[in-house]
Amino acid sequence: MMSNHRVLIVDDEQPVLDAVRDYLQAYGLEVDTAREREEAEALVSAIDYGLVIADMRLTGIHGREGLELVRYIREHRPRTRIIVITAHGSGELRAEVRRCGADTFLEKPIPLSDLVSESFALLGLGKASDLWSGRRSMESSNG
Amino acid sequence: MAETMLDRILQPGNLTVVFQPIMQHRATGWHLHAFEALVRGPKGTNLESAEVLFAYGRRKRAEAQIDRMCIRQILQSALALGGGVRLTLNVHAITLEQDEGFVRFLLDLVEASPFSASRITLEIVEHSPSWSEQRFANVLLQLREAGFSFALDDIGLGQSNYRMILGCRPDYFKIDRFLVAGSSRDFYRRAVLRSIGDLAGSFGAYAVAEGIDNVDDLAAVLGEGLDTVQGFLLAKPAAATTLGSGDFVRHAARRLPEDGAVPPWAGTLNWLALAGQQLAYAANDSLAVAS
Repeated sequence: MMSNHRVLIVDDEQPVLDAVRDYLQAYGLEVDTAREREEAEALVSAIDYGLVIADMRLTGIHGREGLELVRYIREHRPRTRIIVITAHGSGELRAEVRRCGADTFLEKPIPLSDLVSESFALLGLGKASDLWSGRRSMESSNG
Repeated sequence: MAETMLDRILQPGNLTVVFQPIMQHRATGWHLHAFEALVRGPKGTNLESAEVLFAYGRRKRAEAQIDRMCIRQILQSALALGGGVRLTLNVHAITLEQDEGFVRFLLDLVEASPFSASRITLEIVEHSPSWSEQRFANVLLQLREAGFSFALDDIGLGQSNYRMILGCRPDYFKIDRFLVAGSSRDFYRRAVLRSIGDLAGSFGAYAVAEGIDNVDDLAAVLGEGLDTVQGFLLAKPAAATTLGSGDFVRHAARRLPEDGAVPPWAGTLNWLALAGQQLAYAANDSLAVAS
């Protein structure tokens, strides 16, 4: 069964993983993280994620491991939505990422609010801003 | 270069081993047949889940490295169970086929341990569809001659098909929970279970029903003539230190019906005896539930 709120973030930089995870969790999403492509693939084989957010460049030698991950996800989890992030996004690369089956391509630097909005849209969860204002309102009334 | 998860897996002491009893019902009651060793990855990581750990190993093409580390850790952890027990260890088929030093590695490791090869079953998991059957057969022969026995995992599913059964000639047919769970309510599942039990019998092998989580499925499995079972109903996987003390019998007792009602087939299972009695070594050297 599709777990719509469960998100996997894949990046070889731990500080990036921590920051994005904390931000998405604040919006109520269940988040896992992985630093290696193979670790991400193992998680995808075991867990039906609603969304995977993957950096194009992961620990590896050719800097395009993200594409291999996208292909793997498409083959094994056709319904999982995919966001690919890169520091240098040529038109050619953008097209290749799309061909591999990614839903969205984002270029760094990416405001975290944009990443949340994109994630919510792909997960079919409505507007993140509505959820955020609702959470803030709840927190202020509780506190 | 940053430390990878594989580096962490291969560092001694980062894997955790738990053991799940495989129980057998005979005319004299329930007997402990063996312990299956189950490995968990480094604590606090995604790979703590066995499913993710081994999927990662396969994606890294590091099955043999990980299998070797697992077996080292299993034999170390199993010391708390005592040398007389029967152990079941999972091994990837590709490790047997492609790791040229594996037979020597295993023989040396077992020789240096209190366990004898004749009390170790190698459970073959995750078979690849394309490989050298001849090389695989040669390794199995060497290990059989050394005294090891073999179990084939997930019989009836995936690559554990008739061809693999013929190539492996397993001593144990492990029946996946997919076929076992819900068998009490499913005539067709019971028919498949009966068929596998008959096939195992023709091979002179045991059929082991995995994933026994409730009394109804246990009754169904026993009703189809399968008397060797494994599952949470009887005992959850636990550390060797816990199992070595016989505590799993008390854990099993807790899973009896809460109202204390004795199911109609209780005479066969002798549940009350299982709940109230102590473990002892039987004459045939298997650990038995005895009066």
